[in-house]
Amino acid sequence: MAINQAMCGSYKKEITAGIHFWLTHSRTGSGSIAADTFKIAMFTSSRTDANEDLTGYTATNEVSGTAYVAGGDALASVTLGLSDNSSSVPTAFLDFTDTTWSTSTISGARCAVIYNSTLSTAGTGGTVGHAANPSVCVLDFGGDKSSSAGDFTIQYPANDANNAIIRIA
Amino acid sequence: MFQASGEGGLGTVSVFTSTDGGHTPEQVADMALNRIMQINETAPPVIRDQAIAHKNRLREILIYYMNSMAKSERTTIWALMKKQGHDDIAEIIRRL
Repeated sequence: MAINQAMCGSYKKEITAGIHFWLTHSRTGSGSIAADTFKIAMFTSSRTDANEDLTGYTATNEVSGTAYVAGGDALASVTLGLSDNSSSVPTAFLDFTDTTWSTSTISGARCAVIYNSTLSTAGTGGTVGHAANPSVCVLDFGGDKSSSAGDFTIQYPANDANNAIIRIA
Repeated sequence: MFQASGEGGLGTVSVFTSTDGGHTPEQVADMALNRIMQINETAPPVIRDQAIAHKNRLREILIYYMNSMAKSERTTIWALMKKQGHDDIAEIIRRL
């Protein structure tokens, strides 16, 4: 399959199984569980399995260059909101601060994958298995993007129920 | 579909890149505007046109002050270089 912007099918199952922790979590009678670290990594157009069927991050066809480290950058300042969207459907939505590779030289970035780097080895949540570094979604840039001795910024959309980067309605 | 009436969705990211330097004031202004206001393409035309005009005006203001900030930052770096005795580097920065 070709590159396709999509929420990964495996992620939908994994969040239902309670495998991912975007935020610190506590439950009555038990200690606090730290939030997982989620990262965004970029890939060239050769990464043709970057679509809804992707289950986890691997370095195949990942971009490389000055100021870019394999595995990508951690997402910072994760916030979770809830409000009605324009169709009056209660919608949960996630947001992060923009990701910038400063003073970078990066060529041919065609898409990005957000994944859970805390779960660096394959495991299970109940009876649900997950891949190593399980993927959340694929973001399609719509074309190859490059920086040269400059800045490379991925800006996430407005943090609301209609536009946020990850939404569940 | 998460429920009979539910679904998951992804927003659209914007990618900004630069060559031989950082982002331009215009790029940074666009980044700010993307976060400040979104205009629904299905909005009534009169409202949508007013929103677009307002957004364009905001963009001009933001670019002006982004440029002012860049100049001000260069002045700060120029002064620091001068104080440290790097007059040649200070001059390069002043001429930017």
